[in-house]
This record gives sequence, C-alpha cells and structure tokens, in this order.
Amino acid sequence: MSSDTAGPVPTRIEDYPVSRHARRGGLQAVQRRIGLLMLAPAAIAFAVVILYPFGQALALSLFEDTLQSITPTFIGLRNFEQVLTDPEVWGSFGTTVIYVGCSTLGTLVLGLGWALLLNQKFRGRGVIRALTLMPWVVPSTVSAFIWAWIFNSRFGLINGLLLELHLIQVPQAWLSTPEGAMLAVILTRVWRSIPLFMAFFLAGLQNVDTEQLDAARVDGAGNFAILRDHVLPHLRPVLIVVVVLGVIGGLQDFDTIYALTGGGPVRATAVLSVEVYRKAFEQWDVGMASAIGVLWVATLLPPAFFYLRLLVRR
Amino acid sequence: MKHVKGLMGTALAVAMLGIGAAQAADVSWMGYSYAEESAKPSVDKIIAGFTSKTGKTVEPIASAFGDLQKNLLLRVRSHTQPDVVQISERWLPSFASLPGLVDYNTVFGADNLAKIYAPEALAMGQVDGKQLALPLMSGSIGMVANNAVLQQAGITEMPKTTDEFKKDLIAIRDKVPNSVPYAMATKNNSDILVDFQTWEYAFGADIIDANGKVVVDSDASKKALGFLVDLMKERLIAPEIGRPDARRLVGQSAAAFYLDAPQSRTFLRSFSGKGKDFDVNIKPMQVPVANAGQEPTSIQWAHLIIAFQQSNPPTKDDANMQFVAWLGDDAVETQFPVEQSALPGTISARANPIVADDAYLSAWAKNNTNPKRNEVGIWSNSGELTDILAEEVQAALLGQKSADDAITSMGARMKESMIKAGHAQ
Repeated sequence: MSSDTAGPVPTRIEDYPVSRHARRGGLQAVQRRIGLLMLAPAAIAFAVVILYPFGQALALSLFEDTLQSITPTFIGLRNFEQVLTDPEVWGSFGTTVIYVGCSTLGTLVLGLGWALLLNQKFRGRGVIRALTLMPWVVPSTVSAFIWAWIFNSRFGLINGLLLELHLIQVPQAWLSTPEGAMLAVILTRVWRSIPLFMAFFLAGLQNVDTEQLDAARVDGAGNFAILRDHVLPHLRPVLIVVVVLGVIGGLQDFDTIYALTGGGPVRATAVLSVEVYRKAFEQWDVGMASAIGVLWVATLLPPAFFYLRLLVRR
Repeated sequence: MKHVKGLMGTALAVAMLGIGAAQAADVSWMGYSYAEESAKPSVDKIIAGFTSKTGKTVEPIASAFGDLQKNLLLRVRSHTQPDVVQISERWLPSFASLPGLVDYNTVFGADNLAKIYAPEALAMGQVDGKQLALPLMSGSIGMVANNAVLQQAGITEMPKTTDEFKKDLIAIRDKVPNSVPYAMATKNNSDILVDFQTWEYAFGADIIDANGKVVVDSDASKKALGFLVDLMKERLIAPEIGRPDARRLVGQSAAAFYLDAPQSRTFLRSFSGKGKDFDVNIKPMQVPVANAGQEPTSIQWAHLIIAFQQSNPPTKDDANMQFVAWLGDDAVETQFPVEQSALPGTISARANPIVADDAYLSAWAKNNTNPKRNEVGIWSNSGELTDILAEEVQAALLGQKSADDAITSMGARMKESMIKAGHAQ
C-alpha cells in the first residue's frame, strides 16, 4: 500500500478509522463481556437457589397460608403487624441476641487463646492443630447429640463427674433450666466454632513481626502488654472478619439448638430460626413463618453487608 | 459428532430409566411403621403378601412419626402425594380438607364397611359423614407398669387412686436406686400433651369441650397440674424425658410406670433386650383416678389409613383401593396389629384366636374401657394448641410458674388461638 491511496490524515482522534472490534468497546469491553459470561453460571445458580426462594418467602409473608389451606389468602402486611406485636417473637429476638452475642464472644476469646497457644513451638503441635479441627469436621447435629449426652441428667458426663467429686448429691437436669439450656447451646456453638476462629487467628499470627515482639520484651513488656499493644492491633482486620462471620453463623444456626433443646425448656432457647421452624412445621402457619423469616434475614443483612464491604475494600 | 450422539443417547437412556424407576410401583405407601426398626419387617410382610396376591407392587415411603404430618402436607402442596398413607387418628381432622382424599363409602359402600370393621374403630375414621380413613389397628393410650420394679419396691397391688399412686412412687424412689418412678413425658410437646391430658381426665377436668370452647381454666385442671408439680418436687417424675426415653427406662427396669399405646409390649420387648421373656413384667393397668369409684379414662388411639384418588371417581379396581382392601384382609389384620401388640380394626380378626387368646391384649382392653377422644389434637390449630399446653405445663413443672398461673395462662392463650382459628369462645 502506498501513502497516495491512504487519503488525508485525520486531525482529530475521533476521525481515525476504527475496526468493528474497537467500535464495540475494544479490549476492555471484551473483557467485561467475558467477565459477565463467567459470572453467569454463578448468577443463575444464585437466582435459582437463593433469590427465587427468598422472593417466594417474601410473597408468602403477605398471605394467610396455613399448610392445610391449599389456597393462600392475600392479607397484605398483617403478618408483619402480628409479628411485631407478638411478645413471643420479640422474646425470640432477645434470645437470639443473647445466643449470638455470648457464643461469638466466647469463641473469640477461646479461639484466640487456643491460637496463641498453638502458635508456640512445641512437640506434637502439628497433631494438636489437626485434632483441633475435629469439632469443625463433625456434623453439627452429631455435635449437638454429643453435648446432649454430656449434659444428660441421668447418664451425663457432667453429673457423673460432679457426683463422683461429691459436689452434688442428686443428678441435676441442666437442660431443664433456662440458664442451663442456654449455656449448653452456647457451649456447643463455641466448641464447634473454635477451630474456624483459631485457623483465622493462627494465619494472622504467622505475619506478626517476631523482632518487634522481642524488642518489646527487651523493653520490659509483659505477656499481657505484648498481647494488648502488639498482637491484637496486628490482628485487628482478622478480628473484624471473624466477629462478623461469627455473628452471621450464629444468626443462621438452627440444627444445633433444635437437636439439643428443641428451643426449650418452655421457650428459653427459641432463637429466630427455631421460631420460624415452629411456626411453619409445628403450627402450620407458613405465612407467619415467612414474615419472621423475612425479619430474620433483615437482621442478617447488616453484618453481611459489613463483611462484604470489608472484602471489597481489600 | 459421533461422541455427542453417544452422550445424548446415554443421557436419554438414563432419563428413561429414571422415569421407569419412578413409575415402577403401582402404589406408594407412606407410613411411620416402616420407619420403626421393630415394625419394618411386619410392613415388608404386608407388601409381599399384596404383591403375591395381586401381582401389583408397592413402594413403601418411611417417615418418622413426628415428621409424617409435615411431610404429607408438603407433598400435597407440591402435588406429589403418596397413594396411601398411614396416619394417627388425631391427625385426621386436620387432613380432612386435603384435595383428592378418598371417601371410602363411595368406593366400598358404608354398609359393607360396617360389616367388616369394628364400629368404634370405624368411627375414628369418620369426618362430617364421610369415611375418610379406615382403621389398621386401634386401642387406647393407657398406663403400663413394670412388674419387676414394683416387686423390688414391695408393691403387690396396682394403685387405683392418685393418692395410692403417689405412695407407690415414693416407695419405688426409696427402694429402687437411680430410678424414675413414673416416666412421665416432660419434653417433646406432643408427648406432654398426651400425658397431661390423661391426668386432666383422671382429675375430672377437660381442656376443650366438643363445641371447641376452651374449658381448661378450672379448679380440677389446677389440681391435676398441682399434682404433677408435686410429683416433680418429690423427684417421682423427672425432667428431660420424652416417650422414647420412657420406653427405654421402663424396658431397662429403671422406671415403674409410663403412658403408651398398646404397642408398648413391642417396644419394651425390644428395649429390654429380652424379647418375649420380658412379657411377664409388662402389666397394663387402669390410669389412677383422683377419687375412689371414679371411672378411669384413657385416650383413643389408632393407626388409620387414608388414600388419595388414583382415578376420578375412585373405584375398587384402582391399585391403591385394592391395597386398602388388602390392609383390611384377615391375612394382614391377624398379623400386623398382633405383631405390633395392638387390636386389629376388623371384626373377624378380633374374633380370631390369635387375637382373642392374647392375654396382653385382653388385659389392655379390660383396663381401658373408657377411651376419650384427644381433645386438642382434633382441631385445625392443634399444633399451636399443643405448643401452648406443653409450654405452660413445662413452666409449672420446672418451677417457673405456679400450677394455678400456668393453667390460667394456658386457658387465655388457647382461647386466643381458637378465636384466631375461627372457633368462637
């Protein structure tokens, strides 16, 4: 090709001839399109498995729908009105706050302590680290049954131990007091969650500058001061993530509580998830159960949003 | 292309096989007996007998007793209901409005059914003049004693009144170490309902009358619950016991009394590990009453069979109707109920020597002459009513409320629930 056939040279950039590919946005647009294509299977799966059922639950919350009535009746926001004025549902909110708060705090403290311990160098550390994962591997219902036996009033380990030590005269029914039942479900949750929290903390501790800690010791800092002034500030991002994950996990928990106490005694451990189950499958009121479920999701959204924002910022 | 064709062919074959498997059985039968290890072989025998007689196949669908109501209702909502279902008699009113339920009168004729089934058993399957269920086996929920434990405590006569009952319980507590004298159901809401209701009747109280009016807030109810609270304080009953726990405790001679259906014998044989040798220890007895001379009352109990129509209108030739007819045949009725230690539903099977000469079944019938209908389980809002009743009973037993307050609260909450469900108070 010669320069004679090329025509006049454009003076503005917009006047330069562009290929069809470039007209459709160039490489960036292609990448965007491929990105969307890659995202499509996950988005479709999300829509089918999560979005559609949630939309259906949202719709059901606007209906009077008992399992016997094959045709539900539209009642607008009446279910929500009933939920918000129902002392039992408010009680479940309170129980959920206690359960989630105590189990997250307990796991945080014990998980961190265990991680600090397993961060030290000693013989058999690898084995103990591996064994620590056991509660996380065991299915949650199995965990619940193990703890149900530990707390059992007739054959339980705790009663056996206390009777042997003559600390009690007759076996105690731990799961039959509101406090005992709540303690049992919290302990079970803590036991199951420690491995996950520990793994996060342990990963965070690998990156702590040991020279900095040694320098602090030379300056006379004690163990607690090192933990407070050096280790914890370093673990702050991990702390935030595990707290948010702990809260989300606690809010979602159902199987452990239902298998261990069934939400009882009376209503002592009836958290929101148990309340939804009771309304739907014991009282056959699907509309009300959906309304509580929608509010339950609403309580999950702030920590989930916070967690996602943290991830995106990183 | 060749590979693609091959793959498509394989996929099609797999899909055809899947559809074939799904349509393989002529009848699907959902029931809780098939979920119980002790009853599963008996159910298999029923199915084998039907197949050998008719050449038709049955697909058994196991569902735990506590989950069957939920599973069935969910299947009906998703239009995947089974053809035949085994249900508890107390669930029938809540299932009565399900679409496609067969009225057996229109298939077999009311007169014919009356000739085959015992009248009181047949009556348990009737709702608003329709025969929506047929009895597979029947009986009542009454009290059972473990004679070995009674002997250990030096008790030679069965208690007739609540005072005698309490005296015996104290003797057992003091003489049989680590025992629960009376294994009352204190956990699992549906178990608490049956036990509390029995004691309500023993004290002459009622929970809901025949017109749907809540009448539980009475002096008699307060006395009944007060009696149970007293038993708990005296460590004569224990917390954390459901029906399965009670069966185990009595089977292992760690409890003397509990309430159960006549199937009790089958459970106790199994849990004792002694099989039929344990029968000498199993004693059906009358539920003690508050006042001497008062008639003891138990609670009606039955396993019923409902069916969903396979053709419209359903006919005797439908596979599921043939199966229902088979369930009422002597071959089944003299086998399954007897193996489950319960009375058959048909007249001819009851007259059969296998049943008539069974000393346990005779003793059961003799001690439970006045069974009353479950007053709570029959209402459409029975789930909520059961939860309310169990929560209030538990609260009183665990010392969170006085018996009087619990009964007053139970009455108020139940009334509210009944009004919500459309039953005027």
